[in-house]
Amino acid sequence: MRRALAIVAATGGVLALLAGSPYPLDVQRLATAVAREDDHVTAVELAAWLRAGKHRLRVVDVRTPPEFAIYHIPGAENVPIESLTAVPFPAEDTVVLYSEVGIHGAQAWVFLRALGHRRVYFLRNGLHEWLDDVMSPTIAEGAPADAQAAFDRVAELSRFFGGMPRKLTGRADTSEDALRARRRGC
Amino acid sequence: MIALAIGIAFGFCLERAGLGDSRKLAGQFYFTDFTVLKVMFSAIVTAALGAFWLARLGVLDLAGVYVPETYLLPQLAGGLLFGAGFVAAGLCPGTSCVAAASGHGDGLMVVLGMFVGVVVTGLAFAPLRHFYDSTARGPLTFPQLLHVPYGAVVFAVVALALATFAAAERWERCA
Amino acid sequence: MSEALTSAPLPRERERVAEGRVRARAYSDPYLAGTALGLVLLASFALAGRGLGASGAFTTLAAKVTSSPDLHQSNWLLLEIAGVVIGGFASALLAKRLRFTAVKASRATIAFGGGAVMGLGTVLARGCTSGLALTGGALLSVGSWLFMIAAFAGAYALAPLLRRAWR
Repeated sequence: MRRALAIVAATGGVLALLAGSPYPLDVQRLATAVAREDDHVTAVELAAWLRAGKHRLRVVDVRTPPEFAIYHIPGAENVPIESLTAVPFPAEDTVVLYSEVGIHGAQAWVFLRALGHRRVYFLRNGLHEWLDDVMSPTIAEGAPADAQAAFDRVAELSRFFGGMPRKLTGRADTSEDALRARRRGC
Repeated sequence: MIALAIGIAFGFCLERAGLGDSRKLAGQFYFTDFTVLKVMFSAIVTAALGAFWLARLGVLDLAGVYVPETYLLPQLAGGLLFGAGFVAAGLCPGTSCVAAASGHGDGLMVVLGMFVGVVVTGLAFAPLRHFYDSTARGPLTFPQLLHVPYGAVVFAVVALALATFAAAERWERCA
Repeated sequence: MSEALTSAPLPRERERVAEGRVRARAYSDPYLAGTALGLVLLASFALAGRGLGASGAFTTLAAKVTSSPDLHQSNWLLLEIAGVVIGGFASALLAKRLRFTAVKASRATIAFGGGAVMGLGTVLARGCTSGLALTGGALLSVGSWLFMIAAFAGAYALAPLLRRAWR
């Protein structure tokens, strides 16, 4: 009987060595999550979470350390994308991933979801979305009242993080240079 | 409730194995009775293999199972202290309950001692807090630490256990 | 669960059988009992999304009694440990091993002291052999294996000094 147990165990162990990952990747479920937009949060939502001190929130910057050092979202931790799968995230943590523009953030989302983490999101447009929508939100003069109200809420949040909300006089300048100028920040 | 049912099965198995007897347990540390080693490693191997394969076959959601968090220094120190107390008491928290339930008087003493120890530690917690919170690593597992596949670590655990069993059997035959 | 008498009875058991008194069953084969225990642990993973524990029940009770917020609390573990008591009792009863032994004062003191030290250890480590060594061990947790190795080390280290107590 002992011998039988030992043989079963040994076989199970050897096969485990060759068997691949015990975290099956349910691609369909991921695709559904993407379609339902359960995969990301907006920068404004993230800002609200950060200010409210959301329980067990972890903001993860998946860029390289030098990029992280130049500027990162307050409270973020730096885990370069290639190291992400080695970091043990407790299941109770809510992880928000971001990258420069959003692509690596989205890819990192797939990786963590593939490992079974459920509370994972990313910033659709990455750090740029944070800088545009939280650090320098704008509204055109003469916008409707409800848009003004929404802007006022975001502006308050923006100031909390040291941002500079602006009301644009005349036509809103959305040229590339203007956007880049805002991102450089001061 | 499930907790109760699992506890009953747990206690039953422990008593069946003879782990309610402090003398038997202590024998492990005097090289006379390797039951502790055999039971523990058999359980670990069974559960590790079972969890891996159930997950691999899509039956169990391994990521949804709570993994104990790693705190390097507190667990090292706590382990050493625990071991020292263990060899004196001859029973651990779980087996002490089994011992007490099966009528062993010393089981009850261990239960009481543990309760007092926990209470005192809780009351005198302040100076320990810093140490207690140190070297946290989250739910770190060996596959993550060593960057090797999960199955490879399971294989290593099984191999280690089987080798240990063989050595223990050899020792028991020759001693 | 069928019980094959594959292991030789302990000297005490043999004595009792020879004296013709209560015929207690021998303990199960440790590998079999261990495998059964592993299956219980596996069932816990599947049904409750968590493993076993014991020290957590002690900390929960202690926290309730002393209102200490730092001790880990888990009502799940309280229920589970109640089950452990019931299961241990039932097994002993069915195996005719239920007997209430008196304890020498010296043994009682050492048992109490050992328990107290274990209490401290389990608070620091956030677990014991059930929650860390068994559960964490099966889940390949680094800290749990570290705890298990340290526990064995600590026990083997102190064993020579306690040899007399176990005679």
